[in-house]
Amino acid sequence: MQSLFSQQVADRAAEFFTFQYDFAINALMSSMFVGAVCAVVGAFLVLRGMSLLGDATGHATLPGVCAAFVFVGAKETGALLTGALVSAFVAALLVGLISRSNRSRPDAAIGVILSVFFGIGIVMLSYIQNSPTAAQSGLQSFLFGNAAGVSREQLYVLGGISAALIAGVAVFFRPLAVATFDPVFARSIGVPTRAVHYGLLGALSLAVVVSIQAVGVVLVSAMLIIPPSAALFLTKRLPRALVFAGFIGVASGALGAFVSYLWEGVATGPAMVIVAGLFFALAFVFGSRGVLGRLFTKNDALSTPGESQATPATASAE
Amino acid sequence: MLDLLIEPWSWGDWMWRGMLASTLAAIPLAVLGVFLYLRRMSLLADALAHVALPGIVVAFLLTGSLDGPVMLAGAAAVGLLSAFAIEGLAKRPNVRSDAAIGIVFTVFFAAGVILLSTTVHDAHIDTSCVLFGNVLAISDRALWMLGAVAPAVVLLVAVFYRWLSVSSFDPTLATSIGVPVTLVHYGLMTAVSVTTVASFEAVGAILAIAMMVVPAATAHLLADRLPTMLLAAVGHALVSSVVGMYVSIWVNASTAGAIVVVGGVLYALAFLFAPRHGLVAKLIRRHTRDVVLQG
Repeated sequence: MQSLFSQQVADRAAEFFTFQYDFAINALMSSMFVGAVCAVVGAFLVLRGMSLLGDATGHATLPGVCAAFVFVGAKETGALLTGALVSAFVAALLVGLISRSNRSRPDAAIGVILSVFFGIGIVMLSYIQNSPTAAQSGLQSFLFGNAAGVSREQLYVLGGISAALIAGVAVFFRPLAVATFDPVFARSIGVPTRAVHYGLLGALSLAVVVSIQAVGVVLVSAMLIIPPSAALFLTKRLPRALVFAGFIGVASGALGAFVSYLWEGVATGPAMVIVAGLFFALAFVFGSRGVLGRLFTKNDALSTPGESQATPATASAE
Repeated sequence: MLDLLIEPWSWGDWMWRGMLASTLAAIPLAVLGVFLYLRRMSLLADALAHVALPGIVVAFLLTGSLDGPVMLAGAAAVGLLSAFAIEGLAKRPNVRSDAAIGIVFTVFFAAGVILLSTTVHDAHIDTSCVLFGNVLAISDRALWMLGAVAPAVVLLVAVFYRWLSVSSFDPTLATSIGVPVTLVHYGLMTAVSVTTVASFEAVGAILAIAMMVVPAATAHLLADRLPTMLLAAVGHALVSSVVGMYVSIWVNASTAGAIVVVGGVLYALAFLFAPRHGLVAKLIRRHTRDVVLQG
């Protein structure tokens, strides 16, 4: 690594802002898309206490990617992402199945599925790497992501899916919000909570799959959890929290891509996560609901009556 | 058929070294996993296994050595730090404990990956080895480390068995009869971090997680009492490491991965066919109850 702040790094910073390299633009844009879509979908996971489901789904994409590679015989993005999507969704369903059987604990269900799916993926990965086609696979980059390797076509797909998912969350905001905060109440007013649940799992799988090219399977959960958690230190209201989370995600993506451009050897995924972690630390300390903010607000109970908060009452009332 | 079982042993000493390493890793991980499971802390296994990477890297940056004790101390320190951080975050009213785990371990892990890729070129820390392990080429150093840590952990669990079990099942009762619950918690966290790092070279981070979570979850389907649960978990761990070793040799694939897959198959079998708590047994009970009610 070059020394932390050298002429070379300054030159690279200047070079970055000329936006003359396609790969840098692709990396920047894809990281920002990832930041936005993960934050918005992840917010509902965090609120439902399903944060680490993203971790399991992320790890679970690996066997799907490998299976698709074996099946198609080439590193064709569409096929790999479809494989990833299928195995991620199956894993999310299995977590639900195991958690519902009252004998197993939900956290253990996540752990079992995460490690077993990843184990299957590792077996397939090592099998592929021992085979003659190994040279052209480069599947390893799925583990930590490679934002600089995102092509313009992949960027369009990523952007399209991200936009569609965020639009979907906006359109179905009310049923999503009610079903998240009060499932019983949601059912009583006719919200199809089961459909909402599976829809969310589908959205999660899609968000994870489009993100792994940039951040990798190991760290995608960070982008799902950290921006929404930071946003919850800034506001109590769900719509605002979603917007804040989106901004934090986008800013983490942009800064992460920039930082990884400056210093060789710093991969984009980990850089994004560190930046998001810094935003979280700032929100934790200085947010209106953070450590310092709380010193100045007396009554900050989670559900103060009369105060507009992200509870079923607000989520359902116009 | 018998050849397939016996022949690998004649190919060199890596076979028995591999067997030794994977079973030495499997036993303490399974035992610790049972207590994590009972405390609903299975995902701390996930967190601590990821956090061990920055632990090793920081220990190396500070001391310039990768000796066993240095690595174990680094992992224990960073593991404890992350356990404190998780606890501190989860205490905030607007952070759930699972989100706290996710925030802390991903940030620590990302920091470890960046440190590893930028500053530690000469350390011979192989990322893929840390993640997936390399049972069949395990070094003497790693074998000695496991040989020291595994018996120590089992011994500690045996000595503190009462404290561990009472604070796992009923923390309130434990506090009231004078068990130092917090100390037990952080002791367990330290043991998990140290065991994870000791087993890295053998099985890698992911398998360390699997070896803590899957045997315990399987054992809970099979057993109702803690001693039987511990035995079942250790049995599961041993069977999956031995069978997984063979499978990986037969199909020429990652040993760590194969061990996890075998463990997963055993879990699936237990999930379906466990005598009392399996899915099939439950369906049969429901069916007979319906027949009795209707008849």
